Amino acid sequence: MRSASMLAYNLTLAMQSFKRAPSLYFLVVLTLSIGVGLLCANLALVNSMASDPIPEKSEQLFHVSMNTWPNDDPQAEPFHILRYREAMKIVSSDIPKNSAVFYASGVYARDSASPSLKRFDSSVRATTPGFFSLTNAPFAYGSGFIKSSVMEVVIGHELNQKIFTGENSVGKVLELDGELLTIVGVLKPWRLRPLFYHATEGRAFNLTDDIYAPLETSIDLGWSIHARSSSTVSYKGVKFTRDRDVFYLQAWVELENSAKKQAFQYYLDNYSQSLKDVGEHPLAIRNELRDVNAWLLEQNIVDQKVLAFTLASVLFLCVCVFNASSLLLSRFHSAKFEVGLRRAIGASNKNILMQGITESALLGVIAGLLSLLLSWLFLKLSIKFLPDLENLAVLEPKLLLLGVLLALVTAIFSALYPLYRGTRYTISAELK
Amino acid sequence: MLKMNNISRIYQSDTIQTHALRDFSLNVEAGEFVAVTGPSGSGKSTFLNVAGLLDHFDRGQYELDGVSVQGLKDNELSRLRNEKIGFIFQNYNLIPDYSIFDNVDMPLRYRGFNANERKRRVEEALEKVGLASRLKYLPSQLSGGQQQRVAIARALAGEPKILLADEPTGNLDSLMARQVMEILHDLNKDGATIIMVTHDTDQAREVNRNVQVIDGQLADFRVYAPLDRQAEQTGKNISAVASKNVNEEVVDA
Amino acid sequence: MNFATLNIKGLIKSLLLRKFTTGLLILQLAITLGLLVNSAILAFDTREKMSKPTGLDDENILIVSTHPTSGSYRDLDYYRSIVNEDLSKLNQLPGVNSVSITNQLPIRGRGMLSNTHDIDNPEQEKADKYLKDVKYTLAGEHLAEAMGFTIIEGRFLNKSDELDFDSEAKNNIVITESLKKGLYGDESAIGRETNNGIIVGVIKDIMLDPTLPRDKQYGLFMNTIMKYIFIGRFYVINVEPGQMANVRNQVSDTILAVQAERDIFDVFTMSEHLKNFYRDDQGLSDLFLLLCGLMIFVTAISSYAYSQFHISRQKKYIGIRRALGARKQDILLYVLTENWLVYTIGCALGLVMALGFNILLSQYISLSKPDMMLFLLASAVIFVAGTLATWIPAVKTSNIPPVIATRTV
Repeated sequence: MRSASMLAYNLTLAMQSFKRAPSLYFLVVLTLSIGVGLLCANLALVNSMASDPIPEKSEQLFHVSMNTWPNDDPQAEPFHILRYREAMKIVSSDIPKNSAVFYASGVYARDSASPSLKRFDSSVRATTPGFFSLTNAPFAYGSGFIKSSVMEVVIGHELNQKIFTGENSVGKVLELDGELLTIVGVLKPWRLRPLFYHATEGRAFNLTDDIYAPLETSIDLGWSIHARSSSTVSYKGVKFTRDRDVFYLQAWVELENSAKKQAFQYYLDNYSQSLKDVGEHPLAIRNELRDVNAWLLEQNIVDQKVLAFTLASVLFLCVCVFNASSLLLSRFHSAKFEVGLRRAIGASNKNILMQGITESALLGVIAGLLSLLLSWLFLKLSIKFLPDLENLAVLEPKLLLLGVLLALVTAIFSALYPLYRGTRYTISAELK
Repeated sequence: MLKMNNISRIYQSDTIQTHALRDFSLNVEAGEFVAVTGPSGSGKSTFLNVAGLLDHFDRGQYELDGVSVQGLKDNELSRLRNEKIGFIFQNYNLIPDYSIFDNVDMPLRYRGFNANERKRRVEEALEKVGLASRLKYLPSQLSGGQQQRVAIARALAGEPKILLADEPTGNLDSLMARQVMEILHDLNKDGATIIMVTHDTDQAREVNRNVQVIDGQLADFRVYAPLDRQAEQTGKNISAVASKNVNEEVVDA
Repeated sequence: MNFATLNIKGLIKSLLLRKFTTGLLILQLAITLGLLVNSAILAFDTREKMSKPTGLDDENILIVSTHPTSGSYRDLDYYRSIVNEDLSKLNQLPGVNSVSITNQLPIRGRGMLSNTHDIDNPEQEKADKYLKDVKYTLAGEHLAEAMGFTIIEGRFLNKSDELDFDSEAKNNIVITESLKKGLYGDESAIGRETNNGIIVGVIKDIMLDPTLPRDKQYGLFMNTIMKYIFIGRFYVINVEPGQMANVRNQVSDTILAVQAERDIFDVFTMSEHLKNFYRDDQGLSDLFLLLCGLMIFVTAISSYAYSQFHISRQKKYIGIRRALGARKQDILLYVLTENWLVYTIGCALGLVMALGFNILLSQYISLSKPDMMLFLLASAVIFVAGTLATWIPAVKTSNIPPVIATRTV
């Protein structure tokens, strides 16, 4: 086909052109790839922070905030943490398909059958059983616990690797803070970016938890609260929080459609009204349900520092494009004679344009590939500067594609004006 | 005025050595109008380049207006060029981005004159060539003949001792060529020393001295009596010349 | 440098004739300057934040962050006995002046907080919102010596303030100076009763939370650490100047020798703790400076290419100038000035860019406003970098021989 052979010819010409001014083209490729690479790395970070971690049901999962703080403090916003009594009210409703009420804790774990006393610091999610279905937690072995008060746990993939070297540990017994609990389920590697179920207290970029334990069991064993808690009374430990005004539990519900959502809203408001009626709800009734993305937006988890730096890297890319444009202009100018010659023997302006675009497209592809490497390098580097980003520094395939595309577009864009200028020379002037 | 003695200029490429000038000797007195002719490749351009201090020479001695040139450093050579020589090129060599005023002003800047002094000299020089009304024009807005006249004005503005012209009418049609030659002859009448490289034998015959360069050496033929002009040797500076003949009508050629 | 040989108007005119390339370079210079100014601001801001005095003897306070791993520590008596022995053994190390234990550290945002008001005046909290979030620190017996608190009224906490378990007696507390001012203005606070306890002492302010204003460093200290030993995460050790390295090497082993089932997370000095608080700010500042370096590099390449390109087109005219009498240094000056002119326009536009970026970036991070001195310094950097980049082409140009003027090829 004529266009295919034309393309092949143009590619050959491009390669020849590169050989004639290697350092110039090297600089063009280098600066474009640094610019694109840097921007892509930043976009990768922003993407991790802003993406939907559970797209298959993010619109059906809702976080519950309530305004049940017992003191009359008109400035208070609805709280994202709840008391035990509200949590139980939520869990007992049959309107949601699934519900989960939990708090974050931590224990030291070891295989009770192991002779070694080495214990592993583990993050704990003390939760009601609905958590697993609600979050679509992926099980490698076994399943979740059924009741909230059994001595059973589910462990995550990483902890399983550490303690049991990755084998099927269902049935084994862990010693947690002196107590023995049986493993009933092991999860597959589970990455949630962001960690939507606990997006507060700066935990939005943490890894998923090591141990998932039943809520009542955790409370009874006195496993302390490791995230935000507020109370109006002093209390000796988590064991004593069931009947006190201690706010520390977070609640998520799965509501399949808007009818269910309305019904549940009504349910919560009814409950709050009942509190009001006995004088236990001094603040206005404001029960708020936010789906995953609305909740993440509300928590403003996208790190402002990264956004600021992303902005700066956009500007940097502009500088790189201007640079490439200048370099290409000087290159096309020095290639004037050859272009004039081609035109004199019959190449149309369109041919010359296509030749130029093919050349820049090739440059763009090379720069794009190089930029992927630089993106990866830069992500590694950014962890040194901002260590909190460690779990976010991943290059998803769509970003790799974006990188190559961006390089292609910027390469062609920077060549546009130089190409246009090239078509404006008169042939005779070029040949002189 | 100009004394060259056994000048040699050798070009060395990787494998070939070319003697562009070979034992070249020439004496030019003040007030002479010398035409330099010769076949192409004979070295007449090289001679002009060496004479104009644009190029160095490898052997020999060169004295310009009493100053011995060999051994001078680049800065001193530049100063000499600036103060003593007025160059007129075949393709005018005006700066296309600059107005006529700025073009004529250019060599004066390297002289260190102040702004008023420069203005005065530029306007005077342009008056002499009849282009004083076109101060703000760009070269592209002028004809070839007018551009060459600007180049002459530029050469005159610094009151040089000697004018060197390299095929000054080479790019002009016969009418404009005549007018440019008229100006040169008038300048010579008022005492200017001019060396002109040309391949037009008619032009050569009109001046009072002819030299021929063949294979890098000088063949000095007899001094022609000019066809219809008087030879005057006053040795004055060229600035003393008043160009009364040149007027606006000539400008529109 | 004889600037009189330059025709500035002529230079500007030739710049105008090549608007595209000159415009591109000017834009690059402006953006680079804008970023340079703001990165410098960020760097200085961070430095300033980190050098604010903390009120503590930063260099000589060593902190050990630790947590028991074994379930046996659920027995609080056991837990307490181990801690007491830890403290005693640590105290015996050479170079150690005093040791204590606490539940949270200063120089930290939020943490364990409690609302505080005078017991007869609960409305205080409505007037002063900072009273709602007073830092509530459980102090071991010698915390004042370990941290180097300055007592300005009354006394610090001692053994007698350590309450028995299940004791219903009122706590004795010590408060910071700003909290005293917040509660009682200029009056004495000793003996006054708050909802959290009776005040027995006031200490000079320390930096409890760097994100709060200097005069709102509200904090109170209570000696109930033994009661709530399970939140006693930090040992605080006051070390004799010069002995830090020695002591630091031995703390881990000392603690583990008492009882091995402990996780020692970290051992750090108070000054490292301070640096760590600003770790992200420092990180961002460093990233911006890195970006600046890259931008200057790219812009320098552009400046070189621009200079090279235009000079190569002007070869003939440079030759003409030389033929008319310009010396080598005149040509050098001409080339450099052409570049400097572009830099000047670029920096002038860069001033606008710097202000613009500052406003834009301020939406995301806190940033001081730019000042003229910084802008001039940044411009100087640009000029130097650009001149260096274009030096060789400029020198090469000045070496163009005058004979080029007569060449017709």
